[in-house]
Amino acid sequence: MFNILALSQAWLTNEAPVAIVVLPLIMGAVCALLPKERLAWFCVLITTLICTGLSFLILRDVMANGTISYALGGWDPPLGIEYRVDGLNAPVLMLISVIGVICTLYALRSVSAEIEPKKRGPFYGAFMIAFAGLLGMVVTGDAFNVFVFLEVSSISTYVLVAMGASRDRRALNAAYNYLILGSIGATFFVIGVGFLYMQTGTLNMADIARILAESPESRVTQVAFAFIVVGLGLKLAMFPLHLWLPGAYAYAPSFVTAFLAATATKAALYLLFRFVFTIFDPTADFIISALTWLLAVLGVIGMFFASFQAIFQSDARRLLAFSSVAQVGYMLLGVGIGTMAGVTAGYVHLLGHAMTKGALFLCLGAIWYQFGITRISDFKGLGKTMPWTMGAFTIAGISLIGVPGTVGFVSKFALLTAAADKGWWWAVAAIMFTSILALIYIGRMLEAAWLQDRPKVDGVDVATREAPASMLIAMWTLAIACVVFGVNASWPLELAGRAASVIMGGAG
Amino acid sequence: MLNLINAAAAQAGNVPPTLIIDICLMAMLVVVAFAIVRIRSLFAIVMLQGVYSLLSAAWFVSLDAVDVAFTESAVGAGISTVLMLSAMLLTDRKSAPVPVKKALGPLMVCVLAGAAMFYAIPDMPAFGDPDSPANTGPGMEYMTASVKQVEVPNVVTAVLASYRGYDTMAETVVIFMAGLGVLLLLGLNGNAGFWQAKVQGQNICTQAAPRARILTSPSDKPNTEPRAPGDPEPSSKNTSVKKVAAKKTAARKTAAKKPATKRTTSKKAAKKPAKPKGEAS
Amino acid sequence: MNSHLILRTVSKFLIPLIVVYGLYVHFHGDFGPGGGFQAGVIVAAAVVLYALIFGLDACKVAVPPSWIRIGMTTGVLLYVGTGVVTWLLGGAFLDYDVLRNNPDHPAGQHLGIILVELGVLFTVATVMVAIFYAFGSRTPDISDEDW
Repeated sequence: MFNILALSQAWLTNEAPVAIVVLPLIMGAVCALLPKERLAWFCVLITTLICTGLSFLILRDVMANGTISYALGGWDPPLGIEYRVDGLNAPVLMLISVIGVICTLYALRSVSAEIEPKKRGPFYGAFMIAFAGLLGMVVTGDAFNVFVFLEVSSISTYVLVAMGASRDRRALNAAYNYLILGSIGATFFVIGVGFLYMQTGTLNMADIARILAESPESRVTQVAFAFIVVGLGLKLAMFPLHLWLPGAYAYAPSFVTAFLAATATKAALYLLFRFVFTIFDPTADFIISALTWLLAVLGVIGMFFASFQAIFQSDARRLLAFSSVAQVGYMLLGVGIGTMAGVTAGYVHLLGHAMTKGALFLCLGAIWYQFGITRISDFKGLGKTMPWTMGAFTIAGISLIGVPGTVGFVSKFALLTAAADKGWWWAVAAIMFTSILALIYIGRMLEAAWLQDRPKVDGVDVATREAPASMLIAMWTLAIACVVFGVNASWPLELAGRAASVIMGGAG
Repeated sequence: MLNLINAAAAQAGNVPPTLIIDICLMAMLVVVAFAIVRIRSLFAIVMLQGVYSLLSAAWFVSLDAVDVAFTESAVGAGISTVLMLSAMLLTDRKSAPVPVKKALGPLMVCVLAGAAMFYAIPDMPAFGDPDSPANTGPGMEYMTASVKQVEVPNVVTAVLASYRGYDTMAETVVIFMAGLGVLLLLGLNGNAGFWQAKVQGQNICTQAAPRARILTSPSDKPNTEPRAPGDPEPSSKNTSVKKVAAKKTAARKTAAKKPATKRTTSKKAAKKPAKPKGEAS
Repeated sequence: MNSHLILRTVSKFLIPLIVVYGLYVHFHGDFGPGGGFQAGVIVAAAVVLYALIFGLDACKVAVPPSWIRIGMTTGVLLYVGTGVVTWLLGGAFLDYDVLRNNPDHPAGQHLGIILVELGVLFTVATVMVAIFYAFGSRTPDISDEDW
């Protein structure tokens, strides 16, 4: 018996990279048929829990034994597709699955308020497929397989966003914009992969990197780089390409917004890390200049521009969406700095921001759930009517600003040091200044919620109505995570350090 | 076979005949693409898209990519034309003219992307070069290895279903997701989209969001407003513009829905639209 | 539609042929161009033709929407399930060789390819019909001057 258990654990460790993607795919297909909402939700919860377990297994394995490689279909790469997990993508896998569990827990009540009863089964199915698509994008070691899973996650995401139409009709327009721009992004990405294939004759990432390092610099590679960066830039909402994001985040169903904000742009960012540093040769001249003049500069412009736009929003979700664009700017700045410290900072910010923004959007969803509020002008007195929700919101909000003791501070401080080390004082100034802007826009909401009186309807005070327990657990888990990793930052920093060493090791 | 002809022609010092065919087909593709952009009749556009697919299928045949050609003609020229037609019936017969200002952005994107590709041309391997990386790397290995490893005469099938079967699996999921999305958004019986989300506690929102409304006045004709691909969403500052657009979408949806609900009650009405479609195809 | 006797007769004759051709494309995909994807589209085309000639309501009786939903899922599960079976038999995911052991002939590969392509066929055919149903059910009546 013990023998079988040991064997099964070995088997599980071995097959975990595939199982983590295939399991939600199967569940997605099954949930599409399930008539009972509770049953579908339960299946989703179990699946995300198993995926979290698998992702921990993978992370432990990677930490202990280094890179995992899995040949799908038994075909050795480059003939077949390879799954390749190293220090760079294992934490992202874990992030996506943990956020998946938390959002699923939250979804039970949220979905029953926002989605038509008979559509809830297929809706959970679509969520499962989006989840699987994101995991597949991250876990793979094959450039074309990335595109395929990018499509899987994108198409399901468009549908999930459009499902917000039962709450707000503008979701349809937002989903349409997202669909058009997302398809252009995916097309650009696949054109870039095509150019890479033309140059190297292979689709395996490690193989491409090897051949590119050997071959002389070529215009084909440069064009491939440009197409891939633009394509991924659309997906991760890089500053001038972010136009789809505010609408999509503002009108999608609550838990979808939280899930997307915490994972979708992060998976695309991971791909940017992967392609820029480990597939292309980061010592090549055109990449160094692109990092400095394109990613870093656009990152900083995006930080300013989106933060200013956030200040002038009247809709809370749109505000946070613009703030997301600004935060993506920080991560791009980390990539653009291009040093070990810079990449580490960008990576920590990726992990930290996922928790922070996830918690914020979950709180907004709960506020809509109880009071139908999306506008900041209606936020007055929310601290009294929903104290626990606003508590979590406040903690995540100060993490977003970057107050010491929160995970937002850890990553912003790391970014500041990295920029200062590089001598980019303008970047340091930009980070400081946009943090003040963040203080303004978060402060607006907190001020209305905590300092103003309880709202009145027809002269009667609105009663205190706290969000359901499942929602509170979900948002508080993330809010507490913001603080725990802020106080004890060694774990995220260690993960990010591992990731950065993977990247810089590739640089040679 | 075509390769042999090519080789013979090259040896004779002539331009290979298939190259001439390729160039002709590509020229026709460009002409059709321009026609699609310029024409405003949606019916003509759908038909021209079918023509475009068929032309590219012919071109793929000339490039010896028979499997791709088969897929392109079956999907592009066949079923997607029908689906586009049935989608068109829900909107309008003519597209509104796109103002030049709106067309500039997408045009810039196309020009830049095209320019980038032209920039890369000098370093590309020559067309049909047997020594190019794509023809010597794993691509060649598939040709030699699949004979023993998979023993399927059609190497394309071997690559698609076995060597890269995992990609195909994900593509299947993409298609499944497309179907699921249609199911979620439209419903298979045309009866989706009326349900409204409910605030669980007390709704104290001072400004309600636009929601689904069933329009009753017959003047609410479907209003088509084509958007150029890549046309960015109006910036957040002018929310009024967005609201109008959203309302129009809502109006279009509900107006399109109205006859569909009528359909379920009267069988006669249901059979009517089938007739012209049958003639059209 | 009753007046279109020729259309009805010809399509009654054609539709089975189209389906058979689709199956031929599927099973012959190993040897020539074709495979599950193309076959699925061809089978869906047969259903669409039926709907165009005999009306959508008649078509929904012949191919009920509930079947369509089940078919979509079945296709995906057939494909992924093949992978799961290869897992259970001790191979890597989608390693068809373990499906049938034969030292001098990759019989497992043939079986695996046919199975997964069958999954593709199911999904593609049903999704195409699903999209057609969804659009068709919403189609407003067409006035004569439009055509």
